[in-house]
Amino acid sequence: MKELIEAIAKALVDNPDQVQVRPVEGEQVTVLELRVHPSDLGKVIGKQGRTARSIRTILGAAGMKLKKRFTLEILE
Amino acid sequence: MAEQFATPPTRPLESYLELIERILKEVLRAGRFELSFTIVRGTPGEDEPETPELVVDFAGPDADLLLEKNGALLNALEYVVLRAARLEEELFGRITFDSNDWRSLRAEELKLTARIAAERVIETGDPFALQPMSARERRIVHLALRDLPAVRTASEGAGADRKVVIHSASPPRRRR
Repeated sequence: MKELIEAIAKALVDNPDQVQVRPVEGEQVTVLELRVHPSDLGKVIGKQGRTARSIRTILGAAGMKLKKRFTLEILE
Repeated sequence: MAEQFATPPTRPLESYLELIERILKEVLRAGRFELSFTIVRGTPGEDEPETPELVVDFAGPDADLLLEKNGALLNALEYVVLRAARLEEELFGRITFDSNDWRSLRAEELKLTARIAAERVIETGDPFALQPMSARERRIVHLALRDLPAVRTASEGAGADRKVVIHSASPPRRRR
């Protein structure tokens, strides 16, 4: 799933080499912490958070196939 | 006079296709989605003048997953991929993601829902709020009721909560 978030984030931002995803495994949920260049934050969040919400939907669906829960945290 | 407000897109839709295809393939691969897609020309329906020019049509074992929760995954992929391809806002309605004709089935469902809700508003006189919908779906509802003079429709609420509210066109006029 780290790869999925990296792929999406790198496609969205202007500075793909600054994209970092760190998985934090919990018992029930794996949190994926996404870090991007500060000027790219808007690109991964989107108007009214629509881009972030869409990324979470894609992540949720991909996780469902693996029967695992993932959440995305965008770090500022 | 609408011309002076509409910004014409600076690039043709076709020029984005290669990039859209590349990003989509990469997202499907990284997410291990079992989906393939073809890009086809939209076929205009009888009363659908706004048929998208291009349709990214999905098939495969995960096609059902795309359509769950009112097409949540389908819409999310469409939005993220078109954003990532830097598609200009003006072109967003002209390409759409679809699978098994879901968009037109959904449109029929929305029109039916809109008509049933409108009948209720006419009967009771009370406003009726539909479920939150995307701009595209709200538009289908507005258009479906446009020719019904007994009701008027308005979009209310913000962001993901924005919904169509159907009002009686002849409210008590006490306050006017």
